[in-house]
Amino acid sequence: MSSGESPVDKQDNVRPNNLNLSTPKSPTVASRRQKVAKIRLALINKPVDISALKQLAISKDGLVSDELRKRAWPKLLDVDVDNIPPKPEPEILQGHRDYNQVVLDVNRSLKRFPPGMEENLRMSLQDQLVDVIMRVLVHRPELHYYQGYHDICVTFLLVVGEDMAFALVDKLSQNHLRDFMDDNMDRTKHMLNYLYPIIGKSSPDLREFMEIAEAGNIFCLSWLITWYGHVLNDIRQIIRFYDFFIACHQLMPIYLAAAIVLYRKKAVLATECEMCFVHSLLSKIPDDLPFEKLVSQAGDLFIQFPPKTLADEAMMIFEKSKAAAKMQRRAIAKRVTKGRFSTILPNGGSVIVSVTVWTLVAAVTAGVYAVWKSNDWGWFS
Amino acid sequence: MATQEISTENNETVADNVDKPTESSAVTVIEKQVQRRIFKIIVIGDSNVGKTCLTFRFCSGKFPEKTEATIGVDFREKTLTVDSELIKLQLWDTAGQERFRKSMVQHYYRNVHAVVFVYDVTKMSTFDSLPQWIDECDRHNLNIHIPRILVGNKCDMLDKIVISTNLAQKFADAHNMPLFETSAKDDGRANHVDAIFMTLAHKLKNSKPMMPVHMAQDQGRLPGNVQVVSLDWNRDRYRSADRGQSHQKEGCAC
Repeated sequence: MSSGESPVDKQDNVRPNNLNLSTPKSPTVASRRQKVAKIRLALINKPVDISALKQLAISKDGLVSDELRKRAWPKLLDVDVDNIPPKPEPEILQGHRDYNQVVLDVNRSLKRFPPGMEENLRMSLQDQLVDVIMRVLVHRPELHYYQGYHDICVTFLLVVGEDMAFALVDKLSQNHLRDFMDDNMDRTKHMLNYLYPIIGKSSPDLREFMEIAEAGNIFCLSWLITWYGHVLNDIRQIIRFYDFFIACHQLMPIYLAAAIVLYRKKAVLATECEMCFVHSLLSKIPDDLPFEKLVSQAGDLFIQFPPKTLADEAMMIFEKSKAAAKMQRRAIAKRVTKGRFSTILPNGGSVIVSVTVWTLVAAVTAGVYAVWKSNDWGWFS
Repeated sequence: MATQEISTENNETVADNVDKPTESSAVTVIEKQVQRRIFKIIVIGDSNVGKTCLTFRFCSGKFPEKTEATIGVDFREKTLTVDSELIKLQLWDTAGQERFRKSMVQHYYRNVHAVVFVYDVTKMSTFDSLPQWIDECDRHNLNIHIPRILVGNKCDMLDKIVISTNLAQKFADAHNMPLFETSAKDDGRANHVDAIFMTLAHKLKNSKPMMPVHMAQDQGRLPGNVQVVSLDWNRDRYRSADRGQSHQKEGCAC
C-alpha cells in the first residue's frame, strides 16, 4: 500500500452507516480516542508492552484503526517486519502443487473486496493475494493449502499490504492456523469437537436439541478456518475479530462460535429438530448480532471452560464418531459390491497428538489466560 | 429404491410453521393441507465445476453474481409440485477440494435420496476425477441403489469443450447414470437446469424407473419458471424434446 491508508479505510470513509462515529462529542469517539492513546503508549514502550496490547486487542473495538494494526499485529505475533524474506521468482510460486487451486479460489473471491473498489485495483490486489498465499506455501513446504486460507490472507492483505501480510500469515500458519494445514483435516475436525461441550456446559438443553437434530458442526467450519472472514459481510467486523483471535488461544474461534450459537438459542429451539433446518439457520450469521458482546462472552466461556477441561469430552465425541464410522464401514463392507471401493481407513492417531499440541499451546500462551483472568474491563460479567 | 426411506411429514408441519412469521399465510395453508415429502440430494464433484451455481440457479432461478469457494457444505432447498404433490428437494452443495471430501463431508452422505455428480465440460481433469467421486459415494452410502445422475456443466463455453458427449455418455452408461449436459450460466437455458432437478424429483417421487414424463406445468402452485420436461440425455445438448420411451431403457439404476 503506497499511502498509510488501507483500501478498507478508504472505503470505510464513504460508508454512510459509519458517519455516527465522527460525531464530535459522542461517547464512542471519546472512548475511542482514549483507546488509541493506550495502544500508542503500549507500542512506544521499550520493550513493547505485549500484555497490554493483547488486552487492548481483545477488549471493545479491538485495535481501533488499521494504522495501529499495522504496528501492533507484528508485535503481537512477534514478527520482524524489517527482515521479511524477499519474494521468490514467479516460476517458483507457480510451480507449487497448490497453485492452481489457489488461483481458482482467489478468482472467485470478489465478495471479499470492498464494494465499489475499482476493478483495476481489485485485480491487482487479487494478484497480490495469490502471491501472499504462494509465498507462505513455498516458504513452508510442510503446509497444505485449504479452501478458506485465502479468506484469511485477503483480510491481512487489505489491512497491511502484501509484504507484511506475507510475514504475518507466515507466522500465523505456524501457530494459530497450523492445525488447518495438515494434508488432511482430522485436526480441524477435532477442534470442531469442542463446540458441543462448550455449548453443553452453558445450556444442556440446547446441546441436547442439537444432538437430537444431528445438526453436526460443519455449519461453523468456515467460521473456524477463515476466522469468520468467509461468513461475515462487514470487513470492519472481520478485522476486529482478527484483533481478538491474534491475541488469543487458537481455539478461541470455537468459543466465539459457541457464544453465537448460545445467543441464538431461542431461534434454534424454535426451528424443526432436524439437521437441515438447524444447519441452515446457524450457517448464516446475521449482520445485526451484538458482536462486541459476543466477543466478551466467548472470552467468558474460555475462562470458565478452558480447553483443557473439555479435552476429555471432545475426545469422547471423537471416539464416538470414529466408532460410528467404523460400524458404517463394516455394514458397507458386508454389502455385495463389485469391489469398486477401497477401504483405506483414516488414521485417527494424529488427533491424540494434536491434543498434546493444544495443551502445549495453552501452556505457551498462558499469558493470554492471565490476560483474561486479570482483565478489569468490566464487560466480563 | 425403498419407499420407506423417504421421510414423510404429516400434520407436524402445521405447528412448526405457525412459529415462522416469515412464511406467508398462503404457504402455511398449503402445508396444512398437503403432505410434503422431503428428498435429500447431495451434489458432488471437483472444485470449480459449478456445483454452487447449479444449485443456486435451481433454487433461486438465477446465476449467482459472485460465487465463492464453498467451505464445508452449503444447504439450499426448493419446494416443487410434481403430479399435484408438493415435494421438497434439499440440496447439499459440497466443497470440491479433496481434503474436505476426505474428512468433512461424510456426515452429509447419510440418508441421501439421490446423488448428483458434476463435472466441467471444459476441463478434462474434472471428468477424470469422477471414478474417485463414485468410489467416495459408495464408501459412504449403505444403499447403492439410490438414483445418481451425471451433469456436465459450462456447456455455454462452446469453443472450450473438451469432453465429448460421446465420451461422457459411455461413462454414464457404464455407471448406470443418466447424463445431462447444461449450463448454469446461460439464461436462455435456465429451464434446463430446472428440468434436470425436476426429472430427478419425478424419479424420486415415483421411486421406479424413469417414466415418460407428462407435461405438468399448469399446476397452480408450480413455481413460474419451472416446467416439467423430459430430457434427452443421449446425444443432443440442450435438447428438451420428449423422448420418454427411450428413457425407460436408459434409466438409472433404481
